[in-house]
Amino acid sequence: MEPTTTRTDTRTRTRPGRIGGRSFLIIRGTGVLLAVLALGHFAVTHLVNDVAQTDATFIARRWSSALWVVWDGLLLVTALAHVGTASVAVVRDYWTDPAGQRRMLAALRGLLLVLLVIGAVTLLFAAG
Amino acid sequence: MIAQLVFLAGFTVVTAVIIAFTGMVAVGARRTDGGTHVGAVLRSRLARRSYDRGEGNRWAFYAHRVSGFAVFAFLALHILDVSAYAWSPGMYDDVHELYSTVPMRVFECGLLAALAFHALNGLRLVAIDVWDVGPVGAARLLDAVAGLTAVLTLGGAVVIMWPALGG
Repeated sequence: MEPTTTRTDTRTRTRPGRIGGRSFLIIRGTGVLLAVLALGHFAVTHLVNDVAQTDATFIARRWSSALWVVWDGLLLVTALAHVGTASVAVVRDYWTDPAGQRRMLAALRGLLLVLLVIGAVTLLFAAG
Repeated sequence: MIAQLVFLAGFTVVTAVIIAFTGMVAVGARRTDGGTHVGAVLRSRLARRSYDRGEGNRWAFYAHRVSGFAVFAFLALHILDVSAYAWSPGMYDDVHELYSTVPMRVFECGLLAALAFHALNGLRLVAIDVWDVGPVGAARLLDAVAGLTAVLTLGGAVVIMWPALGG
């Protein structure tokens, strides 16, 4: 006899929050990097310097150094990759129909791509 | 001036979206886990010592989700406001003036709290997996995360608010 299930819902649905092992590693890997990159970025712009000092001349000085261009560029890419991967589990938890999930994830990926392009163009334009 | 209004409109959207997302997590929690509401049963559970509290992991999960979303919502706005620098440094300065106002400084303290909790709790999750610390270790680490988040946020808040309060 087949194992009994208590599921009464006959709709096909993706298991909530289920993501693959590769996604899991991307989330954890970028997460550890972000703990350093994001907290470091905040510390420099809000604690070491007062936020009132981080004006256009501050950015010009900051992005004349390769270290901070690489820091902010890496922060941009890892943060968006972290969001893009982790949000799959979130979307699957709250949108139970597959079509809704696809729509939501497509919209989110579009937004992330736009943000990546804007951020990268800003950084390259200002640094180059 | 127009750039400032655009930023404030964007900031309003960010705040509204964070509140809406928090509501969505709370409703989802009520549906699947019995709710985020603080009842008598939960209060008595939370009053126990930390190694009796599996409950903490569930609340950390909600806080992790909401803080992660909040940081992303701000990040989206932040990428856009810094992109004004590439357009014209003057326009960036115009928008950036808002960052040192008192309400924005208060928001930045909240951002620090979200960043600190999400980063530390994320590292806790890595530690739970890598070192297989078990439920007791996980609960103790959560106490450490909560304590460190409070210390970082309060310490940071003093530094952030100091110039605005005439220090």
